[in-house]
Amino acid sequence: MLTIKVLGSGCPNCKKLEALTRQAVEGLAIEAEVIKVTDYNNIMAYNIMSTPALVINEKLVSYGRIPSPAEITTFLTNALASE
Amino acid sequence: MDVLDFLSKLLYGGLGNLAAYLAAHVLLCLLPAFYIAGAMTALIPKETVTRFLGRNTPKWISYPAAALAGSVLAVCSCTIVPLFAGIYKKGAGLGPAITFLFFAPAANILALVYTGGVIGADLAFARLFLSLAFGIGIGMIMALIFRKDDAAHDKATDDMFAAKKSMRRVALVFLLVLVALLLSGTLKIGLLTDSYTTFTLPVSGMDRLQDFLYNLVPYDASKGEEGVTAQGAILIGLLVLIGLASWKGLEKIHDKFTAWTWIAMGLVGLTLLVASVGTSPHAGGLDILLTGKFFGVLLGLVVLTLLAWKGLSRDELRDWLWESWRFIKQIFPLLVVGVFTVGVIRVVIKPEWIETLAGQNNILGNLAGVIFGVFMYFPTLVEVPIAQMFLSLGMHRGPLLAYLMADPELSLQSILIVSTIIGKLKSWTYVAWVALFSTLAGLIYGAWVDGASIGLVALYLILFLAILAGVLWLVNRRNQQKAAAEKASAD
Repeated sequence: MLTIKVLGSGCPNCKKLEALTRQAVEGLAIEAEVIKVTDYNNIMAYNIMSTPALVINEKLVSYGRIPSPAEITTFLTNALASE
Repeated sequence: MDVLDFLSKLLYGGLGNLAAYLAAHVLLCLLPAFYIAGAMTALIPKETVTRFLGRNTPKWISYPAAALAGSVLAVCSCTIVPLFAGIYKKGAGLGPAITFLFFAPAANILALVYTGGVIGADLAFARLFLSLAFGIGIGMIMALIFRKDDAAHDKATDDMFAAKKSMRRVALVFLLVLVALLLSGTLKIGLLTDSYTTFTLPVSGMDRLQDFLYNLVPYDASKGEEGVTAQGAILIGLLVLIGLASWKGLEKIHDKFTAWTWIAMGLVGLTLLVASVGTSPHAGGLDILLTGKFFGVLLGLVVLTLLAWKGLSRDELRDWLWESWRFIKQIFPLLVVGVFTVGVIRVVIKPEWIETLAGQNNILGNLAGVIFGVFMYFPTLVEVPIAQMFLSLGMHRGPLLAYLMADPELSLQSILIVSTIIGKLKSWTYVAWVALFSTLAGLIYGAWVDGASIGLVALYLILFLAILAGVLWLVNRRNQQKAAAEKASAD
């Protein structure tokens, strides 16, 4: 099972990323837990300069922008393969 | 009966102000500015700027870089807070972080363009220049005052600032053309405002529409109010259409580009073109004056379309449109409500009050501007129409600048954000410094407006900065000596 974290303060882009991630998870029909991280101290622990960011199994895959649905699906399948 | 009269007067004041604003100011300056802000967020990799913010970067690079970061990267708090936290916790420390925080709301592209378009280019430049000088000054002061706490950060890693990424050339050109489009629409120089050809559209009734609109939205030019022209009414209609098409075409742009996306973009182009021509309705029809502005905007649009089509990748295009739309969605409604409210308030405020309080450029007037800015909270950009209201009610430009500097820096929101990251003591110290510097900025700028020679004003400014720099240098040196002595005695 994948643990997916969406990092962001709750701004529109973070919500968008969360929605796209959930869509991608449904599209792949995989088991995954999507967690929103809104606390700045936790967010800063991932060494990023800008939100929204996407973390899959504690690995940072994207930050500072909204990846396209196709990219998110690729992130997910890569993470599954390396599991 | 009187109450009803009064209320309808208020309502008319609000609606009239709103209509005049949308028709006159928003289009040629604010619409391109939103797209520029979107392009900056989407196309400039943050690493181009942030790599100059690491701990190992010398001060003379890191402070200006922090200001630059504030200007190009941060238009909404969404970007400001993580960047601020990042610079502070892992970067060069408190100083550049404060510089960034000071500069971002006052001198980001949207705020500057809007100030320039509504109030005047002189005030926009004053805002930019003084924010830069004072932002760096306050950052250095804060770094000195809280020097001990800052040392703790030295143990943090520098990884985050190591990434190097440069901007793609075509993206840079795209951004520059957007800026050129904005300038050709807003600059008031002969080449652009002169009209080169005129033709008459055989539509009758435009003059009657115009009279009707002037009656509907009565205005008083002597008070600095503006009416709504027939052209303005058409533009407001187009704006509504853009809103609708964007809602359909841009809201779900991450799924796919649809016909609505292209319709929305086409409408934006059309709106800019309509806004850039001069019109004069008369009984026989409607005269259309093709100004230099029109040709500039047309050229800009053509180049942009080509670049967007050939040069930018689909992902870049999508990110750009999405970021621009997000800014519009986030800021525009607040602006509409704000402008309406300003129109209502304006009916109530008596010009004499403003005259007595801040009609002159003195310490009291400037302080009044700052205090108003600190204690009133307005959403992003709404400070600009409010400033214009004060101006038309007789406020001096000096105190006006003091207000414009203090208001966006010191909203309740930003103080709260800052204190969660750096603590209460530091944030209130920051507030005090901003208040002091804003008052000074107002005084200096006011003196210049009042006719003090530019040399004298520059002298004041340089003198002030020199004293500041000197004190900072001395304190810094003493600290270093003390640290060296401590180290020597420890050995």
